Amino acid sequence: MLSLRTLLRHPIQFALMTLGIALGVAVMVGIDLANASAERAFDLSASAVTGRATHAIVAGSGGVDETLYVRLRTDPQWRGQFESAPTVRAFVASPQLGEIPFTLLGIDPFAEAPFRSYLGGGQGFDFQSIAPLLTQSGAILLSAPTAERYNLTPCMDEFNDSCRLELSINGKTRSAYLIGLLEPSNDFARRALDTLVITDIATAQSLTDTAGELTQIDLILPEDYDTAALTAALPAGNLLVASATRNDQVNTMTAAFRVNLTALSLLALLVGLFLIYNTMTFSVVQRRAMFGALRSLGYTREQVFGMVLGEAALVGALGACIGLGLGILLGQGAVQMVTQTINDLFFVVSVRGVQIPASSLLKGGLAGLFASLLAAAPPAWEAASVPPRLALSRAGLESKAGVAVNLAAVLGILAALAGGLILAIPTRDLIVSFTGTFAVIIGLAALTPFVTVTLMRLLNDPLAALFGLMGRLAPRNVIRSQSRTAVAVAALMIAVSVTIGVQVMIASFRTTVTLWLDQTLQGDLYIAAQGLSAARLDTPLAPEAVAIARSHPLAQSSAVVRVVSVETEFGSVDLVAATPDPLLDARILLEGNPEHVVREMKEGAILLSEPLAARLGIDSLNETFPLLTPEGWVQFPVAGIYADYASTRGTIRMDIDVYRSLWKDDTLNGVSLTLLSSADVDSVTADLRGQLIGFERVQVNPSGALRDDAIKIFDRTFAITTAMQLVTTLVAFIGVLSSLLALQLEKAREMGILRALGLTLAEMRRLTFWETGLLGASAGLLALPTGYILAWILIFIINQRSFGWTLQMQMEPLPFAQAFVLAVSAALLAAVYPAWRLSRMQTAEALRGE
Amino acid sequence: MTIFLRFHDLTKSYYEGNVKRLVLQNAHAEFQPGEMTAILGKSGSGKSTLLNLISGIDAPDSGQIWVDGRNLASLPERERTLFRRARIGFIFQFFNLIPTLTVGENVSLPLELNRVPRPQAQKKAKDFLDSVGLADRWTTFPEKLSGGEQQRVALARALVHDPLLILADEPTGNLDEETGAQVMSLLAKLTREQDRTLLMVTHSAEAASYADRVLRLSHGQLVAER
Ligand SMILES: Nc1ncnc2c1ncn2[C@@H]1O[C@H](COP(=O)(O)OP(=O)(O)O)[C@@H](O)[C@H]1O
Ligand SMILES: [Mg+2]
Repeated sequence: MLSLRTLLRHPIQFALMTLGIALGVAVMVGIDLANASAERAFDLSASAVTGRATHAIVAGSGGVDETLYVRLRTDPQWRGQFESAPTVRAFVASPQLGEIPFTLLGIDPFAEAPFRSYLGGGQGFDFQSIAPLLTQSGAILLSAPTAERYNLTPCMDEFNDSCRLELSINGKTRSAYLIGLLEPSNDFARRALDTLVITDIATAQSLTDTAGELTQIDLILPEDYDTAALTAALPAGNLLVASATRNDQVNTMTAAFRVNLTALSLLALLVGLFLIYNTMTFSVVQRRAMFGALRSLGYTREQVFGMVLGEAALVGALGACIGLGLGILLGQGAVQMVTQTINDLFFVVSVRGVQIPASSLLKGGLAGLFASLLAAAPPAWEAASVPPRLALSRAGLESKAGVAVNLAAVLGILAALAGGLILAIPTRDLIVSFTGTFAVIIGLAALTPFVTVTLMRLLNDPLAALFGLMGRLAPRNVIRSQSRTAVAVAALMIAVSVTIGVQVMIASFRTTVTLWLDQTLQGDLYIAAQGLSAARLDTPLAPEAVAIARSHPLAQSSAVVRVVSVETEFGSVDLVAATPDPLLDARILLEGNPEHVVREMKEGAILLSEPLAARLGIDSLNETFPLLTPEGWVQFPVAGIYADYASTRGTIRMDIDVYRSLWKDDTLNGVSLTLLSSADVDSVTADLRGQLIGFERVQVNPSGALRDDAIKIFDRTFAITTAMQLVTTLVAFIGVLSSLLALQLEKAREMGILRALGLTLAEMRRLTFWETGLLGASAGLLALPTGYILAWILIFIINQRSFGWTLQMQMEPLPFAQAFVLAVSAALLAAVYPAWRLSRMQTAEALRGE
Repeated sequence: MTIFLRFHDLTKSYYEGNVKRLVLQNAHAEFQPGEMTAILGKSGSGKSTLLNLISGIDAPDSGQIWVDGRNLASLPERERTLFRRARIGFIFQFFNLIPTLTVGENVSLPLELNRVPRPQAQKKAKDFLDSVGLADRWTTFPEKLSGGEQQRVALARALVHDPLLILADEPTGNLDEETGAQVMSLLAKLTREQDRTLLMVTHSAEAASYADRVLRLSHGQLVAER
């Protein structure tokens, strides 16, 4: 009751504090929802496709020979020992299905029942209804809700255009016909079926051009089954993998990405925490007399403590509620960005709508509430320790603040050093790394008051000499108001230094990637087929198209590339088999001898991408690396480690001839041409586009366009980072605004005296701007080294540990200058409202005394 | 004799919620230059309000305030502020000094506001600080001074820029009797020496005894007491 009234007495402060915590919670919840949605979408599609399979037999991109399935079923060695089911899988998209990625799942309806019960409610299929699935080629099934969503109705008897879907699969367009609907029997089934296109094995093989091949054979092995024996008995080139492990491997690849986002989202909450601390401290200091009186009336310490915490709890709860609402809105936008990035960098996943798991909301709500309580605990303690009845003089309070400035500086340095030590721990655990990073940031933030005070002392004389009264009053007022403004300024410092850190990191990243692209894209023209992911070459190119491109009269030389996924002991990775390019390897080779690498690769050695080497902890080149080829496991010498910023998943490079002889695969995914120096790239591009017009989805691009596309994807990846960093700055801004308003309230009497002495309103406003400008400058100044340190940590520790990328740190003055301007202008902007309010402040009232 | 300060029909009211409360009701009075006047009145009778109107800090509902031939009530806010800066010295009951400025800077403040060149301002401020007996506290910050010392600094500051009119709002209200008497006699001595006009609000009869004339504020009107 008393609490509520206190809060309502300063409605603006109350509102700002609530808004600050709300924004912090909103960012956290928004990111959490986006992450959770992407993760759940992945889990769901993984578990939908995996079903109850415990293991699977896989064989890399080439697929498993379907005769193996027959043998598993009939060979007395295995017959009847375990359940098995063949599947053919591919990602497909269709204009009739909104062009989002669907999973084409080809199954054998007779083997399905134990595996994916949702397909038929556990009873197996209703054979009546699926007869056409087996007998008609091109027949597919969708779930009833999906069909309804896209306004599709199955054909009853005959195939016609009303139920025809154009599926684009591996760069080709194929017709399929919707012949029936699956009615999901429960919620899980509904969501599992959401982005599945179900078809018969034979149809799937014909749609994907993989006659005689299976993507994998799913197995349900009894618990104590001798997997080693099964593995040994499998034909060469096949591998038995545990389904859960496999899904985990894929999922953990995005974990680093998600942890990074979460850490960034916590920053806004941290800044919000500072805001609460600041406001509550102020309100406690203002009410010291009241607490003294309450204590003398018989209130216990605990009661006073509880009262202040109660206020904070109220603000925290309200802010958290608003934050949850905002967070859900934010999540809608964030999920798009997160999904986009996962598709760009990792694997195909389609997220339809935001999942709103109660756990995300609960986490966000509790974080908001506890952050508020935590931040309010020190001021509440201070309130509780006000002695009964004694009204402390302000002077006493300020000298206490003076001691606190130095104490904070010492503790800050210690915290920053501790953070440094934590960061020095060689670990790939991101939680540890971010803990260290936060310790460094908070430690440096604790230096803010010290830096401010020192700066003001230094500026005092020059400013007084230059600007007279204003120049003399402003720095001293800044020093004196430390106890009220320091925390807000520290929060501003954090926000601004994060801006610097993130900007420098992005700039460094961008420069590194641009450089890398320049070195990688050595050809003039690139011919590839468009797939589902903008960033990966995963679609085969028609051999005729390859031939046309390579035989262009203006082509001086050409290089080809084949991208497949291969099985390693650590799950599947991308294998890039390409025409060796001596120039390229010399430049982007991080480890290995550039003189010998091309020759070694011709002899069968491979290169590992940096993220892969980092993930597997490989740093010596004396090792060999086993890959599963159609002939079985082969040990490849590692000739070097190369820079690769296209994927964090990790890739392996191999000479195309070595690949072809081992995999017996002539398919290609891309061709690059180097033109005669007399040729005009644009006209050859136009010419080739004309010649290749009959090949669907084949694209001809000059290297420049490709580079621009890559940079576009890059920028897209960091859009969310920039957005969150803006919110953090907004919260810091609110903090400064709130503390300025508080300060003004408190200095009313002093300002009244100045008015009585004859300072005009304009002069009073100027004084306000001077003071806040100086506060902003202090924050900005400290943010420069802090931002630099943060950038260094992000580039050389966080990025390295998260994605395994080495970046060149790019130091440009611009982000630093911008950040300083940002700090000063944020502070000045925050002063606009208080300055405007000056005219409404009643001098007479201020002078009437306490 | 010329009339230096004159107000008539002065009415001022405040709203407390929806209730209108008349503080001054058609008050009028005249003051001559060099005159020392004490205004007595109960707490809440409107004494501070009256001083705020005379200094132009606040504007009356109606009525006129003539100071040195100018009607303050008709001036815009900025003009009133500049007028106050040049012509009026103020002493309050407590918390008079700007805590971030040293004693010397507090005293020079009115000169600086009136753009007196720095060397002159310094010298003059030193002289005045000397005359209140605190010359050696030039670089001290106000919080290090006792209440009586703070009021003496305020006194020097109120007089330093040769104002026509000094307004004192219970200048001894926060001091013990002995210190109050010291400050009062100093105030009386300096105003007389400088030949200033002083309007002092007080509820202490002791303080009022220094005045040439005593008025009482009650029911929104000023009546002669002595
Ligand atoms: N800004 C204001 N708003 C509302 N009421 C006010 C205001 N200023 C003064 N008052 C009221 O006017 C009356 C006179 O106040 P004041 O002039 O301060 O009295 P005094 O100085 O004689 O003690 C008081 O009742 C006070 O409550
Ligand atoms: Mg009064």
